[in-house]
Amino acid sequence: MSTIFPRWTNALPTVMAAALVGGLTLVVGGVWYYVTPKYWEVGYMPTQPGGGFSHQIHAAQLGMDCRYCHTNVDKSAEANIPSAATCMGCHTPGLLQVSSRSAEHNAKVGFIRDAYATDDPIPWRRVHKLPDYVRNFPHHAHVTAGVSCLSCHGNIARMPVVWQHESLSMGWCLDCHRNPEPSLVAREEVTRLFDLEPKFEPQNAAARLAEGKKFWEERKIAAPENCGACHY
Amino acid sequence: MSAPHPDELTTKRLAGLAPPPISAAPYDPRTGDGSLNDDPTQRPPLVLGQRSFHDVTETVCGYIEKGPGKWWLPAFVTSAQVAGLMPLMILYLAVTGVGVWGLNNQVDWAWDITNFVFWIGIGHAGTLISAILCLFKQKWRTSINRAAEAMTIFAVICAGTFPGVHVGRIWMAWMLFPIPNANAIWPNFRSPLLWDVFAVSTYATVSLLFWYMGMIPDLATLRDRAALRLLRKERSGRLPLIGLSYDRLRALVYGVLSVGWRFSSRHWLNYEKAYLMLAGVSTPLVLSVHSIVSFDFATSQLPGWHTTIFPPYFVAGAIFGGFAMVLMLLIPSRIVFPGMRDLITARHLENMAKIILATGFMVGFAYGMEFFIAWYSGNSYETDAFLYNRVLPPFVAEWIGSERSAPYWWAYWTMISCNVLSPQLFWFKSARRSPAAIFLVALLVTIGMWFERFVIIVTSLHRAFIPGEWHMFYPTYVDILTFVGSCGTFLTLYLLFVRFLPQFAMSEIKAVMPQASPHHHPGHATAHAADRHGAAHPGGATGMPPGLAGAAHHPGEPLRHPDQPKGGA
Repeated sequence: MSTIFPRWTNALPTVMAAALVGGLTLVVGGVWYYVTPKYWEVGYMPTQPGGGFSHQIHAAQLGMDCRYCHTNVDKSAEANIPSAATCMGCHTPGLLQVSSRSAEHNAKVGFIRDAYATDDPIPWRRVHKLPDYVRNFPHHAHVTAGVSCLSCHGNIARMPVVWQHESLSMGWCLDCHRNPEPSLVAREEVTRLFDLEPKFEPQNAAARLAEGKKFWEERKIAAPENCGACHY
Repeated sequence: MSAPHPDELTTKRLAGLAPPPISAAPYDPRTGDGSLNDDPTQRPPLVLGQRSFHDVTETVCGYIEKGPGKWWLPAFVTSAQVAGLMPLMILYLAVTGVGVWGLNNQVDWAWDITNFVFWIGIGHAGTLISAILCLFKQKWRTSINRAAEAMTIFAVICAGTFPGVHVGRIWMAWMLFPIPNANAIWPNFRSPLLWDVFAVSTYATVSLLFWYMGMIPDLATLRDRAALRLLRKERSGRLPLIGLSYDRLRALVYGVLSVGWRFSSRHWLNYEKAYLMLAGVSTPLVLSVHSIVSFDFATSQLPGWHTTIFPPYFVAGAIFGGFAMVLMLLIPSRIVFPGMRDLITARHLENMAKIILATGFMVGFAYGMEFFIAWYSGNSYETDAFLYNRVLPPFVAEWIGSERSAPYWWAYWTMISCNVLSPQLFWFKSARRSPAAIFLVALLVTIGMWFERFVIIVTSLHRAFIPGEWHMFYPTYVDILTFVGSCGTFLTLYLLFVRFLPQFAMSEIKAVMPQASPHHHPGHATAHAADRHGAAHPGGATGMPPGLAGAAHHPGEPLRHPDQPKGGA
């Protein structure tokens, strides 16, 4: 019945099929790219008190070990944020040469000294957050197993203000738990971010894997994959 | 020339202005409406009333074009309102949580899964009629398959809703499917709950394809009839506001739905092949879907669920309950649609009654066998699950001096009386031949089949191994109204179907009419006269009565459609 539909409608099924395939691809691609923690979480960099603690200055330029401040990272689940007292170990007026000389520095660390004087906590803003239904990430278990800070936080010593380097999605956790070998390093190297950085370059993957496999066998690592390992 | 034109007569009949067409043979106690002929040398006619091909087209299309009658709108409005309860209750569930249902720690599946299994089972009759009866060339299926397939789709829609909402967090229901996600979580591929997702979604897809593909020629007929009226500049009503004429709208909508069907021989050839292939694909689904639904229970360790008889038992029960629902829809249809009694004859109803009797025996056997195995296995938990969860009423327990009794005895005995006892009525020919009796039994069977699922799910769960975790289940009003709403949804969809889509596969019905036989002589078209002397007549030398399709004359040949619907322009 040519009287019902004009001739151009003959093209409709083809157009609609193409639109369906194209639309479906767009939706799947869009969800895959945008609707994951990889898009929403990575790069999260909240404004911190006093402009933020520069890991670049402290860990890279001054060469401080991570555990100077995060003292419990290999002993407890929580990688503790140091109290103002730890900061004051260096930043007490007159203690450091730079402190006594530079008015700019004094102004910058004023909030720490104030917090120390009033005994109030410094309102640092948490960067790496896991959902409520996940246990505290056991830092000690990972650090003693030989997983470097680098694997989850990136090279934090390059960050003037800390930002989130990885998605922290469950799939990302499981990627490592199902295949832990390439992430295992020598225990004394765990916090040596600049030594480790080249080892994690893609071109060194084979050597990394061989080394990691050795540690995996030595330490009898069995990364759990059951629900209860991370969820209550 | 004063006799009314046949079209006019049909129009009047459909509008309720003329009495329904009178069958060729008036009701007689031996053959009923003429189709209940018990003489094995004569095939009973499948279409009564000396219908011509054109009559069939006019009747089936007339229901849509002239409207089904004054009863339709009130019925639709009422059922749509009942259907509205379902989204309302689901919304309440979604914003509040599954606590609004009567579930507790012990009975964590109750009405939700009962309703799911109930509805998914209903659908199986449609698939059996369209697939298995097609492959076995059961010609009486042609006048009930379309409605039964529609029923299947609507039942699957109702069924699919329940597992979708019982997950609690409805927005997470996508996790039923194995979709790659940032959490790297997959459903457990070793769990029958996942197989169920595949089984039900395959079933829904194939049933929908089967139903829709079978409907394409009939949709094209509706399109062509509307287009022809447009060409003839016949006036039809107009839509309010837009002013589009109904016939224009019909031509457009049925035109899109009939995807360019032009009744060419090549179309029919492809159609027949595709139909047969879909029948082949659907056939295992009749058995597999409910088998897998039964695995949801059978693979668990719970006494009362952990039973190897479940798959065949569930399949038989599904066909049993499904045919009951087909009958519950078709018997009222025969009353409200004039002319339908010539297409769905008393023989059709009797055949379905016999299927109910047979499958009723199968489920009865399964009930008995479950009981036997509980005793024979010597498993005290299994025996307890039957005796003290389901069977033993308190008054009998008191009488035999048992300290324990089954709190859900009433559910169990409702199931037994509805599913095992009530179909026994069909041993009597008079009951098989009375639409009212069939309707009553079908209603009881439907109730019984709902209770069967309730008994299996709730009574097994409510008392498991440790007495400390025993709980009764009491439905809340949300449980009840969601189920009532799902019945309303089912009925609403069916009412929309009878209003807007062809209820009969016109081409298939025409193929089983006497005229379709190559040896049909128009001079002897009176169905019953031809039936009686067909064998003696030289033209009917094969002895093939005209009630048979042309196709049956050469059993090796595929079904042909000698006549394309005349209604098509």
